[in-house]
Amino acid sequence: MKKLKVADINVLIRYTHPTLVKQAEAYLSDFDKEDIVIDIPESTLERLQQENPHLSVDDVEYIFTGAAFYENILNYNGFLLHSSGVCVNGWAYLFSADSGTGKSTHTGLWQKYLGEDTAKIINDDKPAIRIVDGKNYVYGTPWSGKTDMNLNMRMPLGGIVFLERSTENFIHPITTQEAIPKLFQQTLRPHEASQMNKLLDVLDKVLSETPIYRLGCDMSREAVELSFNTIRRDK
Amino acid sequence: MKIKEGFLLRTVAGSNIVVPIGEGSIDFSGVITLNEVGAFLWKILEQPADKAALLEKLTAEYDVDANTASQDIDAFLAKLREANLLDD
Repeated sequence: MKKLKVADINVLIRYTHPTLVKQAEAYLSDFDKEDIVIDIPESTLERLQQENPHLSVDDVEYIFTGAAFYENILNYNGFLLHSSGVCVNGWAYLFSADSGTGKSTHTGLWQKYLGEDTAKIINDDKPAIRIVDGKNYVYGTPWSGKTDMNLNMRMPLGGIVFLERSTENFIHPITTQEAIPKLFQQTLRPHEASQMNKLLDVLDKVLSETPIYRLGCDMSREAVELSFNTIRRDK
Repeated sequence: MKIKEGFLLRTVAGSNIVVPIGEGSIDFSGVITLNEVGAFLWKILEQPADKAALLEKLTAEYDVDANTASQDIDAFLAKLREANLLDD
């Protein structure tokens, strides 16, 4: 078993396959007492692989350990948002959408036009949001989807943007009533009442304190300028 | 009539939302948002209630005439039935 610190949670975890070995390297840690244990035996990974023949055992380990982590984070005032998270000048902004819409493309354009030293990808697919000491933070995690773009760091959550493709660029704030169904589409939904209540407790605080937007964008520099200038919190 | 088992009504950042849990999440995977009156009626319907009871409570709580209240209740019940959320 190995020891990782992910989102300031001590994780005792079993893994051996190359993707997670590489992704988890920056999160290796040492501690006396673990908060959570993720222990999926090799025999279970092999069975899961047979049930999902389009995946390799390596993929299965990466995906199911991630799912286990994100189920557990509910117990630590956190949740997962399927999004690409970008940090600029001390704030993290999350761009969320269904796979294939272009959220990574958009945050990639932030890096291109703002510079890679200014705009850093904290997690390209599944950042964690956690309330710690009464503040809403975004954390990088080893589970970042198909890319290896993630950073072992935390940043205050500056905004959440639901992105769609559009030939005309637009951005406007949305109400919590509009935001909640979208958030539910892009997170893991607990089925048990106690876990659902925990998720709703976290969403209550995060939505009360975070600006939420709807963005329609193409791949132009103007799209980046519009989204950055609208949602930035650093001025 | 009564709301089916497996739904949780909560206020999140000022919005009344209903999410399926347990059994409820098998058939229904969305989120329902309710206005204030909708949430008021939903809470009553978490226990068995008939239309007369809904009407009485709604007119007692809100400054609304019986005719308008009755129409609002009918519209709300129709939506619940359409979404298959009521046990009759």
